[in-house]
Amino acid sequence: MTHLKGGRWANLWVSAGLFLLAGMSMMAQEQGRGDAQGAGEFAINCANCHGSDGQGAKAPSLTAPNIVALSNAELIRVVHDGVSGGMPSFAQLGDANIVSVVRYLRTLQGQGDMVGPAAATGDVAAGRALYFGKAQCSSCHMIQGKGGFIASDLTAYGRSHAANAIAKAIVTPDNPVAPDARVVEVRTKTGKKLTGVVRNEDNFDMVLQTEDGRFHFLAQSDLIDVHRTDHSLMPQDYGRRLTPAELNNIASFLIVAGQTTPAEPLPPGRRHGGGR
Amino acid sequence: MRIDQIVLGTAVCLLLATTPGDGRGQTAGIKTGMPSPKRHSPTAKADPAGDATGLIEVKQSDLLQKPTKDNWVSYNGDYTGRRYSALTQITPANVSHLVVKWVFHTQEAGPLEMTPVVVAGVMFITAGNDAYALDAETGKQIWHHARAVTEGLIDDASSHHNRGVAILGTRIYMETDNAHLLCLDARSGNLIWDVPYATGNRNYGATSAPLIVKDKVLVGTSGGDDGVRGFLAAFDVQTGKEMWRFWTIPGPGEFGNDSWPGDAYMHGGGTTWMPGTYDPELNTVYWGTGNPSPDYDGSVRPGDDLYTSCLVALDPDTGKLKWYFQFTPHNMYDYDSVQTPVLVNANFHGRPRKLIVTAQRNGFLYILDRTNGKYLYSRKFISNLNWAKGMDEHGRPISAGLTPDEKGVLVCPSQDGATNWYSPSYNEATHMFYFRSLEACNIYTAKTTPFEEGRTYYSTGLRRPLGEIGKGYIDAFSLDKLDFAWRDRLIGPTFAWAGVMSTATGLVAFGDDAQNFVIVDGRTGAPLWHISLGQAIRASPMSYAVRGKQYFAVATGSGDLFSFALP
Repeated sequence: MTHLKGGRWANLWVSAGLFLLAGMSMMAQEQGRGDAQGAGEFAINCANCHGSDGQGAKAPSLTAPNIVALSNAELIRVVHDGVSGGMPSFAQLGDANIVSVVRYLRTLQGQGDMVGPAAATGDVAAGRALYFGKAQCSSCHMIQGKGGFIASDLTAYGRSHAANAIAKAIVTPDNPVAPDARVVEVRTKTGKKLTGVVRNEDNFDMVLQTEDGRFHFLAQSDLIDVHRTDHSLMPQDYGRRLTPAELNNIASFLIVAGQTTPAEPLPPGRRHGGGR
Repeated sequence: MRIDQIVLGTAVCLLLATTPGDGRGQTAGIKTGMPSPKRHSPTAKADPAGDATGLIEVKQSDLLQKPTKDNWVSYNGDYTGRRYSALTQITPANVSHLVVKWVFHTQEAGPLEMTPVVVAGVMFITAGNDAYALDAETGKQIWHHARAVTEGLIDDASSHHNRGVAILGTRIYMETDNAHLLCLDARSGNLIWDVPYATGNRNYGATSAPLIVKDKVLVGTSGGDDGVRGFLAAFDVQTGKEMWRFWTIPGPGEFGNDSWPGDAYMHGGGTTWMPGTYDPELNTVYWGTGNPSPDYDGSVRPGDDLYTSCLVALDPDTGKLKWYFQFTPHNMYDYDSVQTPVLVNANFHGRPRKLIVTAQRNGFLYILDRTNGKYLYSRKFISNLNWAKGMDEHGRPISAGLTPDEKGVLVCPSQDGATNWYSPSYNEATHMFYFRSLEACNIYTAKTTPFEEGRTYYSTGLRRPLGEIGKGYIDAFSLDKLDFAWRDRLIGPTFAWAGVMSTATGLVAFGDDAQNFVIVDGRTGAPLWHISLGQAIRASPMSYAVRGKQYFAVATGSGDLFSFALP
């Protein structure tokens, strides 16, 4: 059982197992404490296993998509309870520090402006229509089981991203490009050129997936040129093609989808998608 | 069932390279500073994007292909359940040169009982509730769909066994330990839909691989030792909508319900925990059902206990029963009948017949006419069999009247069965039926116990006769001679629960009882090659080819997958 000092929190922390929803509100309300507290606690308690940048070391990366996809409440629970057979409990930090750590983790994940359950202020139905229509998001991104395969599944995306962050990610998608989404152009000894996304690579082989879905199994020794671009397949011109209101509608659709789709039970520390 | 007791693509004309050598697996000599052992052959990967490898688009015609060749599109390879490959690169003459090409370790790391599916050079495997796509030439992971195993399950489902995926179009299908049917995009691993299909009794689980028949995906459950009501259900491959459900335990007013007083039918078992087979010409699916529940206490379920321990023949469009054949009426010894019903077209007594050949857990090998379920032949295949005195002319066993009681009664074969779920194989080249068998007995006890959700429903238990050690065998039964051609004892410390497969060159591959993966000459049983994998094998092997190279693959008991090929 955990208790907060401040009386205004007491109703939120009903029990150790059921305090989770509280986290999101706390993160919103405790913003004043800033990241410094969280950064300090992270360095002392987390960095040794997860790396000082959270990119993973002895323990898995905390910036992997499946961790980013976890809600604030879920992250707070993991820090508080630990992971069976893996990470120990950090309940001893106290609730306020745990929230600070999670808030700092969000900045490491590039989600720094996300401080609470994202609000959907736009027109969700219009956003859905854009997603599957004019904006063509669904030709690459699956959501709730519908859509393409070459880019990431966005079903859970809106669970951990605020509307303004989503709009920003649509308008400036490759800032920086996600490693799994980077477009790679290769040329083989026979002169064949392929452009796609790398699903697996080592010193000997490369699996490149092209936009038609095909996996190309390539030997490094057959490649005479490998150009790793600094961009994904995502169009760069959404800032011109979509109005701010449309962007907000899409963001609202993603937020509502993320918050209303039951999450698959994800094993902690597991990667979801991606080959490397 | 208690299986854990003792312990085509569109162009799936995969172009066969004219030279078996390939460009893969060679070191990038320049980059690593390591010498390349040999230069790639000029034909290898000459056109890396020019063949069909890597494109997942499985058509119905690919699923109907038989026998299986480069691709292995379902648990048993093709719809006949033969677990037979037409590949001929590996022969009795060169098999001694086989080497390990790669090993993949699943994060789940439990005992794997699955058979990989391979299409266009991409291998799809499962471990627990996880699915993976691998490069079938290198074993490297292309994607991983991670899903936590379910806490709070009981019995077999709590071991999170899973036997692999089904595939159609650009999608794969799998069951989860808590009996959800998942549809994933084979190109990304992303979840398309998730349908929970067994509700109302939390003792349900699932351990099998789905079977796709036309536009439906067929799934069953585990829990037959735990008081669930067995069924086979079909779902639309596109939408996941349920199209039909065949209950293996008849409800009130239905034929066969007289074995199930009161609400006993709700807990009668008869689960469908292994993939069935399918004859497109007869438009019939053949599915084995498990033991009745409770397992050992027959007093609460008088009569034959239909349709437990049966083979049911169903119309795949409607789920309607065409016929059934019961191997073990009023089964009190946990003799499930989920062993693969292998579809064989062969001469029987000089006449070409459409047959089913199946070796059963109850110790008899059966041949049935699959057009009508008529019994044609049976043969006892173990020495230690005392539960039946023989077989009548209709294939109904003559019971020896051994009834488990509180004191215990010795019954052979044991609960683990004279054979079990591990796959048999029928070989077109040798006309032989290969399978693993076990000589063992158990002392069965019974005591009437009420059903309770959250608990198993064996209604007491069993023990081994003092000092007895089970003996494992690989058996070869000739359909030409209607006799056993050979029977090889498997020497080793642990009965391996590993199935067999065979190839067009007469090779028979299996895991033995000493952690070896073994390939023998199917005509004689003579060992030709073996390798110790350092862990027990609890799965059935398969074979596939990519770019003209034939591989054998087998999953193992510590969460690994091995692939073998010629150097």
